[in-house]
Amino acid sequence: MQRSNKSPLAAQTTQSSVPVSTLLSTLFSEGLLLPQATTSTIELIINKALALNNNKLVSFAAISQKTLTIKLAELSFPLSFTVNNNAGSTYIMVRAAADFSDCTIKTSLNTLKKLKAKQSLTQLIKQDELDVSGDIKVAQQFTSIIETLAIDWQSELARHLGDVPTHKLLQFGNKITKSLVATGKQLEADIGEYIVHEKRLVVTSSQINAFNQQTKDIASKVDALSDRIDKILLTVAN
Amino acid sequence: MSSSDQHSQNSDSSTNASAPSDVDTSADNSADSKNTTHFGYKTIEKDDKISMVAGVFHSVAKQYDVMNDLMSFGIHRLWKRFTIDASGVRPGNKVLDLAGGTGDLTAKFSKLVGREGQVVLADINSSMLNVGRDKLRDKGLVQNIEYVQANAEYLPFEENTFDIVTIAFGLRNVTDKDKALRSIYSVLKPGGRLLVLEFSKPENELLNKAYDFYSFNILPKIGELVAKDGESYQYLAESIRMHPDQETLKAMMENAGFEQTTFKNLTGGVVALHKGYKF
Repeated sequence: MQRSNKSPLAAQTTQSSVPVSTLLSTLFSEGLLLPQATTSTIELIINKALALNNNKLVSFAAISQKTLTIKLAELSFPLSFTVNNNAGSTYIMVRAAADFSDCTIKTSLNTLKKLKAKQSLTQLIKQDELDVSGDIKVAQQFTSIIETLAIDWQSELARHLGDVPTHKLLQFGNKITKSLVATGKQLEADIGEYIVHEKRLVVTSSQINAFNQQTKDIASKVDALSDRIDKILLTVAN
Repeated sequence: MSSSDQHSQNSDSSTNASAPSDVDTSADNSADSKNTTHFGYKTIEKDDKISMVAGVFHSVAKQYDVMNDLMSFGIHRLWKRFTIDASGVRPGNKVLDLAGGTGDLTAKFSKLVGREGQVVLADINSSMLNVGRDKLRDKGLVQNIEYVQANAEYLPFEENTFDIVTIAFGLRNVTDKDKALRSIYSVLKPGGRLLVLEFSKPENELLNKAYDFYSFNILPKIGELVAKDGESYQYLAESIRMHPDQETLKAMMENAGFEQTTFKNLTGGVVALHKGYKF
């Protein structure tokens, strides 16, 4: 599959016999149809999430039959999202093709994180981290609808597991998260201690400050000396 | 040859439970050129094929989807998804899903072409069409789908009607494939394209052998257990081996008038997707 606008069906020469070594790679790359397996999974997750949405005011009517394509630098194939709004129920089709799109965004996962952190869209475009072609309103409408979705994961989980197990599971989850955060901080501190004091690979901030101060002192002494030399030269010349 | 000559094609092969290596799949066309054709490995009168294939699909229609998932380990869904990705479909298109069976492709096309577009689900077999219609209606897909019982060789549509025609796992069951391809060419609009998704010839000998073993020894048993019809699945395996290989089918499409004809092997050539344009 290619990332360009070309169809994924490309001319291909056939071989009468392929070595065994290439059989596995064929089956695991093309054989498993990874782009299609990926889009299939994403489509399933998105539509399951849509079904759980509690905000009944969310309407996809404005972008019905509109297609948003995202070309991620990390993926070798595009992801196209098409909204189908049929008698009030919405289904989002995900395809690994970009032959038709109302809006195409070329970006990377890192830039998407920056977008999430509310960094300016215009700024990212200026920095060449994001390339938008087509109708940008489609992308904005997709984003604003996704932001208005209200999914109560806790209630949904409780429906399948029961209230008590869900409560326990969330408690456990919170405990694990807190523990992981604490462990992370401790690890960070320990590593800091090790590389600063044990291995002396990194200097402390007070050492940097002292070094900066000494540099400033030397600089001012050099300036004073330079002034004196200039004055002496002037006297000799006169 | 008459039907009494059945299995004459594989009489030289060593075992009956595997694909005969010396069967020339291109023979399918030479047989078609006279009054006989193939029904699996059997050579039969052309006039008999429609009813015999109909018998197979009437028998398996209700278990068709379950069997597809079982036989292909669910990969048929990815093959069909690949077909959709390669189709270049867009809102407003008119699509013919020929031999569409239980409507897997129709369901996806219906969502992509939207209200402005239309999808025609056509199948020669009324049982398959009924199962497909019920399935799609249960999914709430009613607004842009039409159902037509039609023979691929004599498509009951005006010339230059469709933007896209697909035939997934159906062409090998058609009696006169050349006639069907010409008929499809006729109903396509200029710029329109045909996509043929069909079992084909695996590229690797090892895979070919494993595939043969699976097809002739395991597949009929699964058919017997699930669909209570091992014979139909024996036919399925045989019909796959008798279907033209990748290059032959490409040439057949070109003979029918298609241009820029290409094919892509999927899962090592177990299945191939052929694509051709009408200009």
